[in-house]
Amino acid sequence: MVEDLLIETKALSKSYGPHVALDALDLSVPYGATGLLGPNGAGKSTFLKTILGLIQATSGEGEVLGHDIRTEGEAIRSRIGYMPEYDALNPNMDAIHQVRYSGELLGMNPTVALSRAHQSLEYVGLGEQRYREVGSFSTGMKQATKLACALIHDPDLIIADEPSNGLDSSAREFMLTTLETTIRSGQRSVLMASHLMEDVERVCENIVLLHKGHLAAQGRIEDLKAIDKEVEVHVWGHATEFENDLSSSGMRVRREGRVMRIRHDGEETYDAILSAANRSGTQIRRMHDHEASLEDLFLVIMERLGYEIKGSDDLFAEGIV
Amino acid sequence: MSEGDIAASTPVTGQSRMDSAWGSGGGDEVVSANVAQATVESGQIFEQIYQPWRGILNPRWMRNWAILRHHLLGVVKKGHRPWGIFIRLALLIILLASCSDVLLILLAGVIGENELYSMFGVNRDNLYGHVLGFFPRNVLYYPVIAALLVGGMISDDRSHGTSALYFSRPISRLDYASMKFLSIAIILFIFINGTLALYYFTEILVMGRGWSWIIDTFPSFLTAFFGGILIAFTYTAIGLALSSVSKGRFFPGIGLIAVIMGTRTLAAIVNGLFDKTILYVISPFDCVAHVTQALMGIEMTYDHPWTWSLASIIAINGLALYVLATRISSLEVTRE
Repeated sequence: MVEDLLIETKALSKSYGPHVALDALDLSVPYGATGLLGPNGAGKSTFLKTILGLIQATSGEGEVLGHDIRTEGEAIRSRIGYMPEYDALNPNMDAIHQVRYSGELLGMNPTVALSRAHQSLEYVGLGEQRYREVGSFSTGMKQATKLACALIHDPDLIIADEPSNGLDSSAREFMLTTLETTIRSGQRSVLMASHLMEDVERVCENIVLLHKGHLAAQGRIEDLKAIDKEVEVHVWGHATEFENDLSSSGMRVRREGRVMRIRHDGEETYDAILSAANRSGTQIRRMHDHEASLEDLFLVIMERLGYEIKGSDDLFAEGIV
Repeated sequence: MSEGDIAASTPVTGQSRMDSAWGSGGGDEVVSANVAQATVESGQIFEQIYQPWRGILNPRWMRNWAILRHHLLGVVKKGHRPWGIFIRLALLIILLASCSDVLLILLAGVIGENELYSMFGVNRDNLYGHVLGFFPRNVLYYPVIAALLVGGMISDDRSHGTSALYFSRPISRLDYASMKFLSIAIILFIFINGTLALYYFTEILVMGRGWSWIIDTFPSFLTAFFGGILIAFTYTAIGLALSSVSKGRFFPGIGLIAVIMGTRTLAAIVNGLFDKTILYVISPFDCVAHVTQALMGIEMTYDHPWTWSLASIIAINGLALYVLATRISSLEVTRE
C-alpha cells in the first residue's frame, strides 16, 4: 500500500447474502478533498461503513490513513471526523454540551473537550448560539453543529455525508466556505458524499464515482473533464444540413436547437467545422471550446454505462440502478 | 437670495424652468452639501480561522467513563443527558419513599419506641422486604424507576440518530451496550441496595449495635444485597431489551411494567384457580424473590423448587440480553 494515499483499497468486496454491495473495488484516494458520488444503491453507505471499520469486508483489503480497515477500525475512527447526513443530535441538549460530549466519546478529557467545543462552535459560526438547545436550531445550524462535532478533535479526515442537504442558499454557502477553509487553511482532507455536483465541484479536487458497487470513475475532476472535450457552436440557418454534414464526416455531434457540441478530436476539428458550415450554408455565430461541468462528465460516464439520462436528477433516481 | 434660489414670485419662464431643473448658473459656484455623518462603530467581523488541536486522545476506559458519566450525572446536573424534570422529580420522591424504613428506625431510636422498632427494625424478613417486598416497593418504586429510566435509553439514540455519534467514534457496540446497562443498573442499585445499606447501618448507629449483632445479621444483609443486585440487573436487562426494539419512550417503559405485573398477575390467577405456583417461573420478580427467599432461609411462598426459579431467571436475563445485543448490532451509523 502507498503511504501518501488517504484511502486505498484493493479488490474490496462486500456482500449481503446474494446482494453484492461493493464489487472488487480498487480505489486510490489522495490527500485533499474528494467527492464521493453515485446513484442511490451504488454502495456509498456500505463503502463509508467499510472504511470506518464498522463492517467487515467480505474479501479484499484496504487502508485508511495507513490503518488496516479489517483490524484497526478504532484507530481509524479516532482520526476521522464523521458528519452524518441525517439528524444525529439530541434535540434536548445545548449545542456546547453536545459537541463537548462528542469529544469525550473520542477520549478527550472533559475540560479539554469543553474548551475545544467552544472553538469548534465558534469556527462553524455558532459562537453566539452555543448555549441554545439543538432542538431550537434551524437545519443549517444543526448541520453546523454536526460539523463542529466532527471537527472537535482536529481529525485528519472529515467524512461529510451530504453536508449541504436541506440548506438554504446562505447556509449552504457558509457550509461550503467552512469546508473549503478547513481544507485550504486547516490542511485537512475531506471525503464528501453529495448529490449536488455543483457543491462537489466547488469543494473537491477529486471524485470517486460508484455505480452498482463498481468503481465507475476516479481521479482529478480536471483530468476527468478532459476525457470528453467538445467544441460548442452556435449556428444560424441550415442547422440540420450542417449537423448531417458533420455526422457524415464521422464527427460526434450533440444538438439542442441552434447549439451544437462537437467532439474535439484535435486541431483539425475547427477546420472541419468551418468547412461543413461552408458546404451547408450555415452561419456560425459563435464557436468556442466547451468547458464541461461535473454534471456533463457524469452524463457522459453514465451514458457509457448504458443509461439514458437527461440530467442529474435522473442520475440519482432509484430507477436507473 | 443666492443665485440658484427661486422665489415664489419668480415668473415661470424658460430660464426659471431651466434653473429649477438643472440649477444652472454660471458654472463656477462652489457647490457643497451637508450629508448626515452618523458615527458608526465597527462591529466585530466574524473571522473564520481553523484552529488545530494537538492533544492526545485517552484510551478506551476514558471513553466508557464518558458514556457512564453522561448518563449518571444527567440525573442531577445540566449539561449531561437530559432526563426531564418529571423523571427527576419522580426519582426524588421514590428515593425518599425507599428510605421510609430508615426514617422509622431513626424515629424508633430517637424516641425509644419498642413497638415501632419491633415492626421496622433490622431482621431477615425486613431486609428481604426492603429489597423484594411486593407492595409498595416492587409495584410503585423499583419497576417505576426502571421504566422511567429505560424509556429512551436506546430508543432515543435510534429515533434521534445519535447512535451515529457513538459508532462513528472509537466506541464498540459492546462498550456502548455495557455502559448504557451499567448506567441504569447503577441508578437502580443506588435506590435498592444503597437504601438497604443505609437502613442496615442506620440501625447499627442509632441502636448502638455491637460486633456480635453485626456478625449475626451481616449474612442476611449480604444475601438481601445479592437479591437487590439480581433484581436491579433483571429489571435493567428487560427494560433495555424493550428500549432497543423501540423508537419511542412510552413502549419500553410501559412494556417493562406490563412484563413484571402481567406475568405475576397471570401466575397469581393460575395459583388461585389450581393451587399451583409453578407458573411463577415466568414472572421475573417472583423468580428473584424465590431465589432470595431460599438463600436467606425465610419462609417460602412458592411450592416449586427454587432452582427452577434460578434457572428461569437466568433464562429470562439471557433472552433479554440476547435481544439487546441483536438490536444494538443493528443500530446504524449511516442511516436507519
